[in-house]
Amino acid sequence: MLANVPSAIVIGVDGHPVTVEVHVGQGLPGLTIVGLPDASCREARDRVRAAVMASGVKWPNLKITVNLAPSSTRKTGSGLDLAIAVGVLVANEDLAAEAVAGIGFLGELGLDGSVRTVPGIVPLVDALACEHVVVPVAAAPDAALVEGPHVRPVATLREVIAAASGDEPWPDHDLPARAPRTQADLDLADVRGQAAIRTALEVAAAGAHHLLMVGPPGSGKTMLASRLPGILPGLDRTEAMEVSRIHSAAGISLSGDLIRRPPLRAPHHTATMVALVGGGTDAMRPGEVSLAHGGVLFLDELAEFSPTVLDALRQPLEEGVIRVSRARFSARLPARVILVAAMNPCPCGEAGRPGACRCPDGILARYRRRLSGPLLDRFDLRVDVMRPQVEALLGGEAGERSETVAERVARARLAAHARGVRANADLHGPTLDRWAPFDAEAHAHLTDCLRRGRLSARGLARVRRVSLTLADLAGHDGPLTKRFVSTALALRSDVVLGAGVAA
Amino acid sequence: MTLAEPSLAAVLIVLSELPGVGPATLLECRSHPDPAALLGRVVSGRAHREAILEPAVSAFTRRNKAAGRSADPSEVAAGWARLAIALDPAEELARHRADGRSVHVLGEPGYPERLTEDPVPPALVFSEGDLSVLAGPTVAIVGTRNATRAGRDLAASLGAGLGRVGISVVSGLALGIDGAAHQGLVDAELPASGGRPIGVIASGLDIAYPSRHQRLHRDVVRTGVLLSETPLGLRPTAWRFPARNRIIAGLADAVVVVESRATGGSILTAGEAVARNVPVLAVPGHPTAPASAGTNDLIADGAILARDIEDVLVAVGRGGALDVVGGPVGEGEGDGLRPPDGPDEAAVLAVLGVDALVLDEVLARAGLSLADGSLALAGLEAKGLLERRGAWFERTTREARPGRTTRRSGR
Repeated sequence: MLANVPSAIVIGVDGHPVTVEVHVGQGLPGLTIVGLPDASCREARDRVRAAVMASGVKWPNLKITVNLAPSSTRKTGSGLDLAIAVGVLVANEDLAAEAVAGIGFLGELGLDGSVRTVPGIVPLVDALACEHVVVPVAAAPDAALVEGPHVRPVATLREVIAAASGDEPWPDHDLPARAPRTQADLDLADVRGQAAIRTALEVAAAGAHHLLMVGPPGSGKTMLASRLPGILPGLDRTEAMEVSRIHSAAGISLSGDLIRRPPLRAPHHTATMVALVGGGTDAMRPGEVSLAHGGVLFLDELAEFSPTVLDALRQPLEEGVIRVSRARFSARLPARVILVAAMNPCPCGEAGRPGACRCPDGILARYRRRLSGPLLDRFDLRVDVMRPQVEALLGGEAGERSETVAERVARARLAAHARGVRANADLHGPTLDRWAPFDAEAHAHLTDCLRRGRLSARGLARVRRVSLTLADLAGHDGPLTKRFVSTALALRSDVVLGAGVAA
Repeated sequence: MTLAEPSLAAVLIVLSELPGVGPATLLECRSHPDPAALLGRVVSGRAHREAILEPAVSAFTRRNKAAGRSADPSEVAAGWARLAIALDPAEELARHRADGRSVHVLGEPGYPERLTEDPVPPALVFSEGDLSVLAGPTVAIVGTRNATRAGRDLAASLGAGLGRVGISVVSGLALGIDGAAHQGLVDAELPASGGRPIGVIASGLDIAYPSRHQRLHRDVVRTGVLLSETPLGLRPTAWRFPARNRIIAGLADAVVVVESRATGGSILTAGEAVARNVPVLAVPGHPTAPASAGTNDLIADGAILARDIEDVLVAVGRGGALDVVGGPVGEGEGDGLRPPDGPDEAAVLAVLGVDALVLDEVLARAGLSLADGSLALAGLEAKGLLERRGAWFERTTREARPGRTTRRSGR
């Protein structure tokens, strides 16, 4: 008396199919789960027994063995409850095996037999190669986002039993209304004055360049960062599915709608490394960087983040994926983000204004030492943000609307596509040389900057990429002129005060 | 030498190396009839039972306590004893006299004349360079470390200008105004008859603090003199700076404060100058400029207005005809700079006054787009007409001020 029921688990952002094998036979009564269940998974034993009994079925007083295949991967969470219960009923011949053939089961059981939702429904349904999938009612809208399987929402185990035994049709539940994803109305037009940072945001969006904003409290750094997603191109179907899957895997309900706009994540500076890059439990839950995949990761108060956390960001920023490795297995978490960071220029808040800043040299040095050079070097754009002047706030004309800027950004992205990359930030080495030549005047200017120590060799490539994006935004063709180069240099200020540190 | 009684200088050096012994304590030790006996008490671990040393021991004990370390006077005295035993007075004296350095004891020949009448004269002065510089006329130029570019430029031109009329410049070799004044003087490369730099530092003579001024230290030693009351090898602890400021005030015929915030070390220097009847001059600034808040306060309190070098010369009684060496007084630093190119550069230069501006402010005030503004800023920076420090743009020079003849003839 054996049953096989298809189900799935989530590791990282991917679903993995799991076959729940149940054997009911003679022996000491009891239920044993094998196949590397973790604590929450092993507790299924008690939930399943209570749920089955609450659903009006007699619990078999026999030895029940549940094997979760493949038995080499760690199983975590309660999402296998429903599959285990169905497996027990089939193995005990309370249900006919044919009645549940080709149906995958996902869901956690309550002691009263109710079926509850579990995190990661999109990757879970995606992993099941079944014609029908039985899911909790609350998870049905998200499950329906996956193309292919037919979704059967259920509220209780009793409904499953009734439908499978043919007593009643599969229930037709009112699904929770699809909450339309409200696009927060954050328009660049709200930004008054602040020409430099406006351009920097546009360049960051167009070239996917990482951006560091340095400015005193109250200069609107958060307000500016939250307007970046609004000028990024929307996500295409594949990207939207990928982003939605990550959010679902992290346990965030999608309300039955794909995420079609680039996300913005703003973790607090007390975030731990696991919270930021992911991993931690056996489920390898995606971290904030992965949740920002395809969008913007905003780190406010950059200098307050723990240095080890920041160093852990360097590899994902470079490669666009995080590889979290644990003893038993590893996961690849997508992490292609535009990093926007903000920090105060100095502890006294005077922004290092010559003659006004009260910070002693030592304190300034210590404050900046928290940021490793290699991390600072990842920022193509380093812009000083000052409190907008009163006149600009009160009388100043509204800036350009996000819509207008987004159109230019989209055009610039097309120019990058023509070079075979997603955005100019991905251009390196010879390809950069090929696509971004300088004209004689620009060349002379850069040579001068290098000679005077205003620019380092490493900074040169970054200035070059930003110049190219500026040219793309302006619709400029041909070699880069001094105009673009000097703007790129203006958008890459020294964040280290005092000593003439090269950009 | 080891068998003989150690000299007074040697004893005082060892005493000054004990942590917690400041200028006041050392001065009392100097006045003691038998300083060697005092050192004997320290060596035997009974410093805390000696009336002269007890306050220093208690003060150091309190500081230890505040820092969460052991807080028992006898332990501090024991620590002093260990240190004093390890130091051989004769060797210490030899060490402080090596490498062209000298040691001067209050009341002995060779001690700087200007300091003998000081209310709190340093019992010990270490020097490196030519001490005879102190005999000539001197003016101290001091100010904030975080100075504006305009302030530093003014300090440099004052330093050079004073040097040209043979007045030596006393300063503290700190970042900002202090360093700029001496750098200006050193860069003027004056002949021997010109004024020379007199550096008074808070650390030992062998330690350049801040380290960025290492080269300036060497230049001051080469062309003038470097002074300190701190023994070799000691880093400048916070209390040594105000103590150093009193020596600056004591060595100068006048003290010019170029820029200072409302509370700052230069205000303390001005106070020390007042206590010594040394005239204080202050460079005025815009009322809203933080870097000039302190100097404006000084003027309100009766300091002499210092608009340019002539005001300083009048204050030291040198307002008349002058023997000028190495170029005219107040020679502009902007000579040889290329003029701005085109209307955009001119517009940017026009909005850059004394105040430093950030990029957005430059763009807004000059009415330029980011691209045009960046181009203009890059051009001006390449010409040396402006300087970028962090987020801030500052003008390096200003046009020569209108002539002062009208005002002076009106006097």
